[in-house]
Amino acid sequence: MATAVHLDGITKRFPGVVANDDVDLEVERGTVHALLGENGAGKTTLMNVLYGLYEPTSGEVRLGGEPHVFGSPRDAIDAGIGMIHQHFMLVDPMTVTENITLGNEPRKWGGIAIDRTEAREAVVELADRYGFDIDPDARIEDVSVGEQQRVEILKALYRGADTLILDEPTAVLTPQEVDELFDVLDELTDQGKTIIFITHKLGEAMRAADEISVLRDGKKVGTVDADATTQEELAELMVGREVLLDVDHGTAETGAVVAAVSDVVVENDRGVRAVNDVSFEVRGGEVFGIAGVDGNGQSELVEAVTGLRNPDAGEIRFGGEDVTTASRRQRIDAGMAYVPEDRQERGLVMEFDLVENGLLGSQHGDELVSNGRIDWSKTRGHAEAIIDEYDVRPPDADSDAESLSGGNQQKFIVGREFERDPELVVASHPTRGVDVGSIEFIHERLLELRQQGVAILLVSSKLEEVQGLSDRLAVVYEGEFIDVVDPDETTEEELGLLMAGERPGDDDGEGGTKATGSESADETERDKPADPTDAADGERA
Amino acid sequence: MSDTPTDRDDTDTATENADSESFFERYTTRALVAGVTVAAVIALLLAGMLFPDSLAGTLSDALTSRNTLASALRLSVPIAFAALGGIFAEKSGVINIGLEGLLIISAFSAIYVADITGGVWIGFAGGVVASTLLAALFAVVTIGFRADQIIAGLAVWLIALGLAPFASQVIYGSPNTPTVATTNSITVPVLADLPFFGALFSASPSVYMLFAAVFGSWYVFERTAFGRWIRASGENPKALDTAGVSVTRVRYAAVLISGVLAGMGGAALSLDLGQFTGNGPTMVNGKGFIAIVAYLFGNYNPVGAFFSTMLFAGLDAVQTVLQLQGIGIPRQLIRITPFVVVIIVLALVGRTQLPEAAGEHYETED
Repeated sequence: MATAVHLDGITKRFPGVVANDDVDLEVERGTVHALLGENGAGKTTLMNVLYGLYEPTSGEVRLGGEPHVFGSPRDAIDAGIGMIHQHFMLVDPMTVTENITLGNEPRKWGGIAIDRTEAREAVVELADRYGFDIDPDARIEDVSVGEQQRVEILKALYRGADTLILDEPTAVLTPQEVDELFDVLDELTDQGKTIIFITHKLGEAMRAADEISVLRDGKKVGTVDADATTQEELAELMVGREVLLDVDHGTAETGAVVAAVSDVVVENDRGVRAVNDVSFEVRGGEVFGIAGVDGNGQSELVEAVTGLRNPDAGEIRFGGEDVTTASRRQRIDAGMAYVPEDRQERGLVMEFDLVENGLLGSQHGDELVSNGRIDWSKTRGHAEAIIDEYDVRPPDADSDAESLSGGNQQKFIVGREFERDPELVVASHPTRGVDVGSIEFIHERLLELRQQGVAILLVSSKLEEVQGLSDRLAVVYEGEFIDVVDPDETTEEELGLLMAGERPGDDDGEGGTKATGSESADETERDKPADPTDAADGERA
Repeated sequence: MSDTPTDRDDTDTATENADSESFFERYTTRALVAGVTVAAVIALLLAGMLFPDSLAGTLSDALTSRNTLASALRLSVPIAFAALGGIFAEKSGVINIGLEGLLIISAFSAIYVADITGGVWIGFAGGVVASTLLAALFAVVTIGFRADQIIAGLAVWLIALGLAPFASQVIYGSPNTPTVATTNSITVPVLADLPFFGALFSASPSVYMLFAAVFGSWYVFERTAFGRWIRASGENPKALDTAGVSVTRVRYAAVLISGVLAGMGGAALSLDLGQFTGNGPTMVNGKGFIAIVAYLFGNYNPVGAFFSTMLFAGLDAVQTVLQLQGIGIPRQLIRITPFVVVIIVLALVGRTQLPEAAGEHYETED
């Protein structure tokens, strides 16, 4: 097979940093090549070089044997390279067709008007050719994230791309959408397209790719055949040391009840009951996990517990006190730490530097603030301690939160919250979008807190994570606890069925699947397959 | 599973609820305002027919009079032109609150150029050029140098507010210019004699130019690639940039177009009277700001902006008639009715779909 893309000794230096160090990469035509590495390993920089966003400090890009120099993405697009960014470049109020043809609209009447019939036909034809199920007239804001991604892919194909670069394409997808994406990738490679797939998820790299190249600290540490490798081998290549993929959580002394939720009902923003009559207790020294497919009321429940949303019925007690209507500030003061699911929306102020972000949540306390004045040198010390302890990169307290990669933002938030000396930690998807080395680290810290007698409420859609860490595990489906199980005594298959809404003792498998398949009103992406391999993040061996 | 059918029902109803909710969010307030307006007008006309001597009678006379439509049209010209200009700028992501200033500068320049050249249409062109130049300055400052758009827009207004009367003072010795020739109205025979609607067929050329501009703007946004780029530039400039279209160029073009359109409005305003009056808030007197309200109420749609301008202008025309009629309500109160209505309308409409990236600077990466 011919080589479609050849990167030869690519080095990219930024002031003070070598992002790529003499990287060679060969990608065969008609294959999926995964570029695997931790956050900050230089994957995206390398691809930005290929896409013409960065000019390499040295090295050469060859396409089909021909050397190319790209001054801008426009040149790369003309040379048949398309990039699907992690954050989609779509105009929400415009239709699918309008987005795909944007900038390359077919014209009529001497170029004055857009030929809308032709544009629509071109899109339909393209979608048919690759087997995409997409409504060309739907507005982007009305279609699911998975469909938006397909629109991005079509956009690249419409511009004549032969090589597609996908930057962390699964980060925003539901497990079912990930499956669909992989089907799409198969279809594309069958038709001769070449795919480069940036990821930090081992399981996905193994599932989707033909070959996997691993980057670490800007260097390529190896290229392996996806069929001839193991997750352990990849993890070791990525991190540079052996990684424990399975957490041994041991046992801890469970103490008194720290938080108790009884008969809580929470409505979501549309007035639909997202949490329906849920009761549970979390004890000191215990990890209480909540598993479930995203959008089954976990967010609303967490918001009610942390004080971001008032429950419509029921009671929440924390440390023996009724905190059902207590404010966020009261709850923080009482020792409730919170790792929010959306780090950019709720965890950080993106325009603030890490010193200021480290202060958030402590601005009313007396540790960093005295007499209403912020003690900036203490606050800086606090932020630097978190950066140091939690290995936040780059280790610079003055950098703005937005300049950090997602994984490093998450480490900083986790550090800030865990260092609060909490009674209860509410951790919502604490390792979402975090690389393998940091996941291990965050898990260890969580278990350490548990060992110290802290109560932990852990919500995650990664089955492996909740199963591995929890002492007791509740499975939520459409706002109700289907069951509370001992995670060590339950198989993934059983959990998968519970997550699909099948109640224990109900052996009619068909019915369960049907219920999952029915469209739900408040969350169209809720229906996910019962298959636990999809629900888990794929980092299992 | 035995409860599957019930599940289905629940979710179906919920889906409908969700749908109707978003429907309400999208259309109701705007539709409600329009509906109430139409209903009130009809009720008033009926009442006026039944009781010709009452207040309702006076009002419906005023409403149905050909003069009212004629003066409403005349009044809408500067507002609607400025509103169209505002739509171009804001859809591209540049909030241009300097429309008032563009109207003022073009109103004065039009008279001045007409005065020295003796040609009404040369004056008109002069007004447009002056406004476009000021818009170009605004564009350089906000797009090129990334100044705050609101502050720069206020500066445009203040510059024009000071400069135009000052220039008049220097040139003519008074903030008010002398009178020059005005544009002649275009009259379509026969149709011009129609009751009420006749006003549409005997109007100043600027009215017809406005009709053309409204349609033209609509066409640009709905049917041309350039219009689509303007929308994309205001909604998600990065998407446009990665599609290979320069956001900066699109925004410059859009702001310059807003200068041209506002210039046409300002020139039409002063040339209609043949004079520029520069006392106080000048003859423009807030029309540029009303224009902003008009396009917001029209939800950035040129046709919608035109009709909301007509609503305001119609109210203003009616209040002028009422002031003359003397209906026992103090003039000052009658005079403010259009503004009160504008405030109510804005409060009711509330949710305008602002372009996502409006007011934000855009920097190309690397």
